[in-house]
Amino acid sequence: MTTPAIPEGVKRCSTRKFAIWLAVVGAVLLWGVYAMFLVWYKGLNQTGMNDAYGFALWIWADLAVIALGGGAFFSGFLTYIIGKKELKNIINYAVIIGFICYSSALLILALDIGQPLRGWFIFWHANVHSMLTEVAFCLSVYFGVLTIEFIPVVLENPKLDRVPFLHHLSHNLHEVMAVFAATGVFLSFFHQGSLGGVAGVLYGRPFSFREGLLIWPWTFFLFTWSAAAVGPCFTVMVTWLTEKVTGKKLVKQEVFQLLGKISGWMLLTYMIAKIADTWYWAVVTAPSKGFALMDFYTNNPVYGIWILIAELVVCGLVPAFILISRKGRENNTLLLTAMILAVIGICINRWVMVLQVMAAPLLPFQEWYMYMPTWQEVATTILPVAYGIILISLAHRYLPVFPQEKELNPGN
Amino acid sequence: MKIDRRCFLSLVIGGAVGTTLTPVPWKLTDDIAIWTQNWPWTPSPEKGPSVYKKSVCTLCNGGCGINVRTVKGQAKKIEGQADYPVNRGSLCPMGISATQHLYGPSRIQSPMKRTGERGQGKWEKISWAEAISTVSEKLAELRSRKKPHTVACIAESDRGTVPYLLQRFLTAYGSPNFIRTPSSFDAQEQALYLTQGRHGTIGYDLENAGFILSFGSALMDAWGTAGQMLSASADFKQKNKLIQVEPRLSDTAALASQWVAAKPGTEAALALGLAHVIVRDNLYNKEFVDNYAFGFEDWEDENGTVHQGCKSLLKQYPPKKVAGITGIDKGTIESLARKFARAKRPVAICGRGSGMVPGGLDEALAVFALNALVGNINQPGGVTAIPEPDYWPEMQRDKTASNGMQQPRVDGAESDRFPNTRYLLNRVPEAINSAKGESPIQALLVAGGNPLYTMADTETAKKAFDKIPFIASFSTYMDETAQYADILLPNHHFLERFEDVPTPAGTPTRVIGLTRPVVEPRHDTRHIGDTLINIAGSLGGFIENAFPWENYEAFLKQTLTKQWDSLEKQGYWVDPEFMPPAWEKAFQTPSGKYEFYPSQRSKASGKDADALPGFRQVELPGDPEKMPLTLMPYASARIAGGAVANPPFMTKTVDTDVIKDGAVFVEINPQTAKKHGLSEGDAAVLKTPAGKARVRIHLFEGLMPGLVAMPAGLGHTAFSDYIAGKGANVNALLTDVTDPGSGLNAGWGIRASLVKA
Amino acid sequence: MTKQAQHTKTKRYGMVIDLDRCTGCGACMVGCYAENNVPFRKDETDKMLSLNWLRVFKVDNGKPFPDTEVCYIPKPCMQCDGRHMEGHSPCVSVCPAVATDYDEPTGVVSQIYTRCFGCRYCMAACPYHARKFNWWDPVWPADMEKYLNPDVSVRMRGVVEKCSFCYHRYQKARDKAYVEGRDEIAENEYQPACAEACPTRAITFGDLHNPEHEVYELSRSKKAFRLLEKLNTNPKVYYLTSKSWVRRKADNYLEGESPADRKPAHKAETASH
Ligand SMILES: Nc1nc2c(c(=O)[nH]1)N[C@H]1C(S)=C(S)[C@@H](COP(=O)(O)OP(=O)(O)OC[C@H]3O[C@@H](n4cnc5c(=O)[nH]c(N)nc54)[C@H](O)[C@@H]3O)O[C@H]1N2
Ligand SMILES: Nc1nc2c(c(=O)[nH]1)N[C@H]1C(S)=C(S)[C@@H](COP(=O)(O)OP(=O)(O)OC[C@H]3O[C@@H](n4cnc5c(=O)[nH]c(N)nc54)[C@H](O)[C@@H]3O)O[C@H]1N2
Ligand code: SF4
Ligand code: SF4
Ligand code: SF4
Ligand code: SF4
Ligand code: SF4
Ligand SMILES: [Mo]
Repeated sequence: MTTPAIPEGVKRCSTRKFAIWLAVVGAVLLWGVYAMFLVWYKGLNQTGMNDAYGFALWIWADLAVIALGGGAFFSGFLTYIIGKKELKNIINYAVIIGFICYSSALLILALDIGQPLRGWFIFWHANVHSMLTEVAFCLSVYFGVLTIEFIPVVLENPKLDRVPFLHHLSHNLHEVMAVFAATGVFLSFFHQGSLGGVAGVLYGRPFSFREGLLIWPWTFFLFTWSAAAVGPCFTVMVTWLTEKVTGKKLVKQEVFQLLGKISGWMLLTYMIAKIADTWYWAVVTAPSKGFALMDFYTNNPVYGIWILIAELVVCGLVPAFILISRKGRENNTLLLTAMILAVIGICINRWVMVLQVMAAPLLPFQEWYMYMPTWQEVATTILPVAYGIILISLAHRYLPVFPQEKELNPGN
Repeated sequence: MKIDRRCFLSLVIGGAVGTTLTPVPWKLTDDIAIWTQNWPWTPSPEKGPSVYKKSVCTLCNGGCGINVRTVKGQAKKIEGQADYPVNRGSLCPMGISATQHLYGPSRIQSPMKRTGERGQGKWEKISWAEAISTVSEKLAELRSRKKPHTVACIAESDRGTVPYLLQRFLTAYGSPNFIRTPSSFDAQEQALYLTQGRHGTIGYDLENAGFILSFGSALMDAWGTAGQMLSASADFKQKNKLIQVEPRLSDTAALASQWVAAKPGTEAALALGLAHVIVRDNLYNKEFVDNYAFGFEDWEDENGTVHQGCKSLLKQYPPKKVAGITGIDKGTIESLARKFARAKRPVAICGRGSGMVPGGLDEALAVFALNALVGNINQPGGVTAIPEPDYWPEMQRDKTASNGMQQPRVDGAESDRFPNTRYLLNRVPEAINSAKGESPIQALLVAGGNPLYTMADTETAKKAFDKIPFIASFSTYMDETAQYADILLPNHHFLERFEDVPTPAGTPTRVIGLTRPVVEPRHDTRHIGDTLINIAGSLGGFIENAFPWENYEAFLKQTLTKQWDSLEKQGYWVDPEFMPPAWEKAFQTPSGKYEFYPSQRSKASGKDADALPGFRQVELPGDPEKMPLTLMPYASARIAGGAVANPPFMTKTVDTDVIKDGAVFVEINPQTAKKHGLSEGDAAVLKTPAGKARVRIHLFEGLMPGLVAMPAGLGHTAFSDYIAGKGANVNALLTDVTDPGSGLNAGWGIRASLVKA
Repeated sequence: MTKQAQHTKTKRYGMVIDLDRCTGCGACMVGCYAENNVPFRKDETDKMLSLNWLRVFKVDNGKPFPDTEVCYIPKPCMQCDGRHMEGHSPCVSVCPAVATDYDEPTGVVSQIYTRCFGCRYCMAACPYHARKFNWWDPVWPADMEKYLNPDVSVRMRGVVEKCSFCYHRYQKARDKAYVEGRDEIAENEYQPACAEACPTRAITFGDLHNPEHEVYELSRSKKAFRLLEKLNTNPKVYYLTSKSWVRRKADNYLEGESPADRKPAHKAETASH
């Protein structure tokens, strides 16, 4: 008797349909791989970056994807450490999404450096003063943790589970998962923070520079807090998308609402801190460097003051208030809208904290710097999305990711 | 043994873990990193001891002393020679970049003959023997047809032994048509001759001058020996001693203590207005004017006719009228005149590019009059004539040669019409294009200079060149003219050859510098002097006899026997005897005095006013209705304005509001731009009577409204793709405006229209 | 400790650029390219893709003709001392691989091309755009490789480079002094290529700690200022100008604030190592 690869009791589409789906997404993936190859072979001249825009689309994608992947550590924290049992129903998926996000981030980093073959110098010749060193270490270790968290999920595949060694490994891993979750939370706290630190410590760049606590600028804490707040929103958003694509309810609405509630309060507190930070920066930090707030915003279409309003109000306060209100949470559309807004908000924040920093001129005789990504950058940024979709498709098809699936789809 | 899944997995995992624990992957990773640090395609220059070699830069006619750092026989870096009397260690950016030309892709690597159409760029490598016999056969043929005078030679200088050999060759051969490219010093040196009776290089002692009044001389942009000027001008600002008259806030104007934005083309009027005030207020140097000058007061000739003198002429230039002409207010004119006259060692200088001086000779004469009024001729901080070197006695010539030399020059220089002008390259295209029958030039030797790029109205010049059956170029680089030639006999690069460099224009001492080989010739090139000796040899007869030297080096050493020791040791020789002659002995004019009234100036009308300096408005070509703007070229120290194309290093220094993505920016005052609906960065079409060009707009408050300023030196089409294809050539948009008295090109600009593209 | 003995150990090499002398001729830039093997490409018009260790900016006072004035500002790496003069210059403190470092004995901010892996964090950190990235493999057409300076290594694609204050010249001078048994390098023994090339002698270079060096007095002059001083990067490149509008171009000022209100550029020189 052969063990089916597909978990017991759930229904999956035909192999043919699945293959077509994979082929379509795979084509996009290949396009990205081709661009990736060009970049590695010909160098970073394949991008639209320049000496003013040394950080651009990729770094933004990295920061955004890591913030959104924060759903993994924060859900883990809630599940294993705080003990929110309901979240067990989504934690597997959160881990997978986190794994995708972090592996993508690492891939993009490998693309984004001028000498990828020397990338390991960051560990070998590490400079402890550099936020990027902190990022690199925590990121890599945390990726290891995520991999470990991901393994038991993979091992639950019926076929793999048949192998006694793997079965035991999986079992033992489940037992100690709380330890890894705790490690993950600890590491995440630092690398999310140090990502915030990356921009915040730039004392030569008054747009992003922030005062702070000990060696950490405020952005350190803001980044961690915001990733914790919005990461789960992204997890929910992807779960909801998966439901739409598969046409099945996978996780109970209460789980969404619970995450929404926690995110809402996190977001609200984050927004309070963020607004205080912005205000202090605008009236104290920036003027001490000779800048008025509006010096940092221009009438060009990308960096108008609208971007600040969008980040703080439309994609910040508004979703926060929706999510903390029961009514808002209980209305499916509102819940999702709020979560999507929050996700957009955090993406804007990460964009502003790297790209606007580069664009704003410092010497009075210089002008705003412009940047336009090339197709190679776009393709390589879409590449992880395609890769994520494929991994999710595979995971969804072959792994028992959603414990509530059987219950929610009894007809199968 | 059957490998089951479990076993396989353990193998894979175990293997992976095991490999990680061995040194192999770590070593590999390290090796790969080391490989990236030593990519074979990233050059690693060979080390060796540095050897410094002294020489002289000839990239422009500045002639700066250089000290070249070489390692293992290769030139590495060009630095200034600190004790060189001209530039005192300073160089312009072009001189520093010379290694890029030496090793660059635009070198002509061997003699070549054209195989395709002219200008098509199809060449075939030939031997030196073939090249020399081709040229001498052509020359012999013209000679046998008694047409030696139809051979012309264009050179970029008429000083030093190489131009001398060229002239000697033409003389022995029988052609009067040695033509030097125009220079901003043409008018000044003619003025020098007319007022002082001396042929020579003009020397301004700017370092010792106490006050410099510059009529548009771009001292810090590109004037004279840029290396020297920049070095000397460092103190101008500190000492508050430079006043710049110019319609554009050039780098010189920017550093001047006062910028006087007179309308372009009215400099002569301003100079005469200043002279008016100086004379009116009795501020002039009476000792000089009364004892050593002629024609200041009205005078009577042998026939008893009374002629107008300078003093009464000046009455026509009261400040109020001059203010109207120049746009400079009366008060400024008055105060400027007083400042100038009362300053210690004041000097007035003129000379913008190209001998394209408005009013030509008049402006130079007017400025010279200012210097004479304050008596700073041959004084420290003043103006001096540096005598031209005199090399070898006349040679013997045959009859064909003598007859040929009797023929009028093709450019009309030294004719009755332009008796005091020595070369008029600007008039050559016209002379060829208007000739009935065959071209008056049957063979052209281009020995330095790049006329198809530098001449005004390049298209017309090209048409004229089309009619010349035989063009030989001696150029080191594949420049625009070489590309249009029939045969190429490439000269060594200046870092590969010997050559003497006499006193550059503007330098107030008598100096000879020695350019000498710093590196071995890199290609199959030959010194132009040797090539000439070879050609003379194969022509035989008197011509061969006129070149009795084994080679150029032998000739050079023989010519400079007296100076050779010093040249070899120091790299230069300064005439220890040279002293500007005292006023009693200084002037070789008919009157033996400094002539305010230049009695030898041609006056077609016979009127005194035509001899005396005056202000005559130059009519610029073009219909002012259709072309409401005026285009004016400007010089930039960061762009080689003609003398050799901009090397990549210099182009790299040029900012994005001068050239971007291959398009040149023209400057225009924001007010004018508004009137014409133009804004910063716009693409536009610039049209003049000579042609049109695609340009982009740069708004500049420092430019007089109504003008369009375009940098000179861009828009090359030859050399290499590191040089060509950058912007447009301003010369192609200009035309020749003949100065009636001198024949020099007096067009300082041209009417233009600018329409958004 | 005597003054002499004190500056024997730590030097703070610095530069004073007199904007009243600079004519914008560009010789310093070319001198730098030639000395430091800076590559070039066919089109260099995008200055944000162009390798320039030194760039000369043209600024004007914004007044209409004929009251316009212009001034040139040459800008090499400022060799920042960092907020507390401790060498944590903006770029050094961020480099994750210590590929750029603050050389204590000289104050020069170094760059190790073979260690840099091209993350460009230092570029993001540098407020002066002094850092340049090798977007392309450097190529010297025809025989141009022949003129490359063997004292300066050629950079490969993918790494950051910047003005080094011609550190190789310091090393040469130091080695020479060592061989000759001296511990002091004379002022004229170590001069960077740009200062040497400047025909107007607008650039003065030396040890800011050494009262015998010209830069000592010049950097303390009333006319002295630095670029973006308010950022506290503490550059070792000083500028001199007699024009107040030029000073306004060198830093950011709030409405009603004026350069005259600022302390002299050279704050009491206390931080000696
Ligand atoms: N970089 C560089 N330097 C060079 C050369 C080079 O090619 N490149 N060439 C060398 C040679 S051969 C020479 S002859 C000299 C030439 O040097 P200059 O004789 O100084 O001539 P240009 O360099 O053409 O400078 C012309 C100046 O005159 C101004 N101007 C134009 N029209 C008028 C006008 O009607 N009135 C007034 N008052 N000013 C006007 C322009 O704004 C410009 O600044 O430069 C030498 N130096
Ligand atoms: N419209 C306009 N016309 C001008 C001027 C202007 O400003 N505007 N400027 C005028 C002035 S001042 C001058 S001096 C002339 C200059 O005009 P030209 O003398 O005609 O032109 P250059 O570019 O100086 O000539 C240099 C050429 O000589 C060649 N060359 C360089 N080095 C060597 C060498 O070692 N050996 C040989 N055989 N050839 C060499 C190169 O091919 C180079 O193209 O142009 C004049 N014409
Ligand atoms: S001014 Fe002329 S001679 Fe002097 S360095 Fe420059 S190009 Fe050479
Ligand atoms: S070389 Fe000197 S004068 Fe020329 S731009 Fe540089 S600093 Fe200014
Ligand atoms: S100017 Fe920039 S690169 Fe230079 S030391 Fe300062 S921060 Fe670093
Ligand atoms: S680009 Fe190089 S020097 Fe700059 S921070 Fe990264 S590793 Fe350091
Ligand atoms: S100090 Fe040296 S490296 Fe720095 S700009 Fe000057 S020449 Fe270039
Ligand atoms: Mo000239």
